[in-house]
Amino acid sequence: MADRTSHQTGRLTLRPGLLALVLAWAGVADAASLTVRVRTPAGAPVEDAAVVLDPVSGTPPQPRRRATIEQRDREFVPYLTIVQKGTSVDFPNRDPFKHHVYSFSPAKVFEIKLYAGQPANPVVFDQTGAIALGCNIHDWMEAYALVVDTPWFAKTGADGVARIERVPAGAYRLRLWHPRQKAPAADTGVDLRAASRHLDLQIDVASRVVAPKPPLDAGRY
Amino acid sequence: MILFRTLERRIAVVFVGLLVFVMLLMLLIVARSGEAIIAAESQRQLAAGARNVSNLLDRDRRQLELAASVLSGDFSFREAIATQDRATVLSVLRNHGSRIGARVMMVLSLNGEVIVDTQRPGKPGRPFPFADLLRAAEKHGRSGGVALMEDGLLYEIVVVPIMAPMRAAWVVMGFPVEDAWAAEVARGTGLDVSVVATGGVRASSLTPTLRSALEKLQSTVLGELPQQLKLEGRNYYSVALPFGAQARVLLLYSLEHTEAVFRELEHVLEIIAASGIALFVIGSFGLARRIAGPVNALARAAQRIEAGDYSEAVAVTAPDEIGQLAAGFESMRTGIASREHKIMRLAYEDTLTGLPNRTRLAERLAALDPEAVAMVAVLDLDRFAPINDALGHPVGDRVLQQVGARLAGLMPSHGMLARLWGDEFALVVDGADESSARAFATRLLAALHEPIELDGQKLDVGGSLGIAFRPADGRDMDALLRRAELAMYSAKRRQCGYALAGEVGDGPPPEQLSMIGEMRKALDRREFVLHYQPKLALASNRIVGAEALLRWQHPERGLMPPGRFIPFAEQTGFIREITPWLLGEVAAQAANWRERGISVVLAANLSARDLLNPGLVVLMRELLAAHELPPAALSLEITESALMEDPTLALSHLAELAAIGLKLSIDDYGAGQASLSYVKSLPVHELKIDQSFIGSLATSPKDAAIVRSTITLGHALGLTVVAEGIESEADLDWLMAAGCDIGQGYFIARPMTAAAFADWISARTAVPAA
Repeated sequence: MADRTSHQTGRLTLRPGLLALVLAWAGVADAASLTVRVRTPAGAPVEDAAVVLDPVSGTPPQPRRRATIEQRDREFVPYLTIVQKGTSVDFPNRDPFKHHVYSFSPAKVFEIKLYAGQPANPVVFDQTGAIALGCNIHDWMEAYALVVDTPWFAKTGADGVARIERVPAGAYRLRLWHPRQKAPAADTGVDLRAASRHLDLQIDVASRVVAPKPPLDAGRY
Repeated sequence: MILFRTLERRIAVVFVGLLVFVMLLMLLIVARSGEAIIAAESQRQLAAGARNVSNLLDRDRRQLELAASVLSGDFSFREAIATQDRATVLSVLRNHGSRIGARVMMVLSLNGEVIVDTQRPGKPGRPFPFADLLRAAEKHGRSGGVALMEDGLLYEIVVVPIMAPMRAAWVVMGFPVEDAWAAEVARGTGLDVSVVATGGVRASSLTPTLRSALEKLQSTVLGELPQQLKLEGRNYYSVALPFGAQARVLLLYSLEHTEAVFRELEHVLEIIAASGIALFVIGSFGLARRIAGPVNALARAAQRIEAGDYSEAVAVTAPDEIGQLAAGFESMRTGIASREHKIMRLAYEDTLTGLPNRTRLAERLAALDPEAVAMVAVLDLDRFAPINDALGHPVGDRVLQQVGARLAGLMPSHGMLARLWGDEFALVVDGADESSARAFATRLLAALHEPIELDGQKLDVGGSLGIAFRPADGRDMDALLRRAELAMYSAKRRQCGYALAGEVGDGPPPEQLSMIGEMRKALDRREFVLHYQPKLALASNRIVGAEALLRWQHPERGLMPPGRFIPFAEQTGFIREITPWLLGEVAAQAANWRERGISVVLAANLSARDLLNPGLVVLMRELLAAHELPPAALSLEITESALMEDPTLALSHLAELAAIGLKLSIDDYGAGQASLSYVKSLPVHELKIDQSFIGSLATSPKDAAIVRSTITLGHALGLTVVAEGIESEADLDWLMAAGCDIGQGYFIARPMTAAAFADWISARTAVPAA
């Protein structure tokens, strides 16, 4: 277990690297930041809500990027991944057995049949939309990818707060999405001028049903 | 009740009856508790079965759900659904449906619209008809139920989601609930399983006949509590379980097996009961016989004793109560036997002499063969009365004992000697003819001639014997004894020792026998009357006396002279009753006349028995005293033959009578054998010449000579001479001339009643004869 934990810690180092790239692009123009707190109508913080800023005009930059959705401990990590259209997504298998990752979502239908380790080619999410990811041999494995056509997005943490940094000043449409949202939320117009903005948003989501994983040491699977 | 007539049966019937009762009770209880156990067991089985079925249905549904889940998890299926490839989806559904035996396969959109339906492939989408199932599936992730489809069949339906990986659609699978299903459920539970939904029995493991029987009942048997019902004559317990919203699973538990077990138990019990009863019947009859057997033996012994058979001892077999009873019987038997022996002796034995009595003799004679020849004799002692009177009864008794012993010593073995009464004995000798009878009689009389010695005193007894023969002289004892008795009297009169009945005659004819019976009544009815015949003193021509003559005013035969009944009165002894009456009448008459001035000596006739009666003297004394008569007013006339019967006793009585002062007269003198010297010794005053001599005075010179000499001799002895039967004046004159003192006869006067006599004598006195 200790070994596995250290392994996971090693992967997490990738994300500050990716963030550094975005920040480097943002640093070119005037930049603002947006903090959004998402709660349920009952007031509970909502985790894994995607907060996306689409510029009302202009074409956002299209940097070539890579993202990774790991299969670790028979789970997809992370649960929600937001990527800009055209991103190549790697599905490295960190488990000692194979996985069969698939998506029947119209934004990207694909499958990576039984494989171990790092598949040879990443999957390019080249259309916007939500993608539900599953594993054909582990029914409970479930993850979502939201493909957007903007580089300015963030997802809420356990405290329900998401923060988008270095957004050029301008008018944006703020889109809120959640994999288990009970109804699509309406877009919100946001004019970013100042250095930072804070918004409180609401969305009603179903609670996550975590299907029980069969224990590994039961010897039955 | 015939059943209870014997102790044996009663014991056995009671015992067996009780056992039968107990057995029946036991069988009843077993049957009752059997029913209760069957019911309880059946309900238990049914409850267990119901739990089983309930579990089975749950598991079945879970398995169906699982199977559906497995299908819905199939990647290519999910791919086909996700890619909305309708034709492929239909094909996949059919393929997978056939894999798990689902007949109905549908895919529903998440909002409940039927997208694909294997049963209606070409039809456009429609809302899923079982919204409640869908709602349950949305709530719980999956659902299952039972529903009636459009095809009219009942289906077990499961609704499971298609996850891709989130819920993308619903798959509905339907499995028909049919007989095969019911049969499979039934196999696992041991119950009969039927599924009932609106419209009837949808599936059943029952045979078609039972199933149609159930169809008729179903509405009443759908309770969720166990209840009993009958199908085609078989007993079932039933319970209904809910099966989806519309249907019920009806479980039937047949009592057949449980009942069979109890039938077998009951059968075994019945066999045990029957054989127990049989054993008990045998045993209790045996016991009853052992109890009743000795009792019956006692009853037989009692019957023997009742019949007079005391010979067999009552066996005492056991020391128990019956044994004690038997011992009691035994002592009773010996007691009765000895008492009866005593009674027999008293009944059949003369206590004085120890000889058989008259009763015993009668039985002895009655027991003889009707034609058996026998001699029956009656013996009377000649001089017993004077001995008895002179020496007292104890001596008389001893005389009788000695006589009995002496006679008994002479009896042959085939004879019997009995004492009849007083000094009269009777004897029977079988097979005796006349000559042997005569010889035997001679021996007996000879033996009696030997004087009897008592305390050194020699007593002469002697006896007279009358002999009758059986069957010549009669068959029954009364007839034979009477004939023998008549013969004995004859022998005694003639002093010839013995006489045969055949020589003496038959005795009184039957009409006279009946007369004897009538005499007793006559005395009571005062039919006897006295007539008086005057006695004329020839010298003075005065009536000096009258002889009282007994007449019987018989209601049918008219006036009867004494000659027609007195002999029988004498023979039967009835004379002993007549004489006291007669003497009383005479005494009363004498007193009566004396008061009226008619002074005559009244004479009464005495028989031999009267004379020998020791009470006569006493009687005469009493009569004289009672009527205040001088003794000479009465005269007693005694015949010669009466005197000769027992001369000694007669003499002693005559002496006493004479001593009183009574006049005594010898009647019928000359007819008998009395010698004049004997007469001389008698204390008599008068001699009455027998009328046979008087009647022939005129015709027979010899008789006249006898009369004349008798008168002379009588006078010489100082006796008054009376002539009887004077019937003519010539006779009267002759007698007067001959010196006869007194005359009596028809010529003087006939016998007349007392009243007539009184009239006659007063008339005669008033007109004295010339």
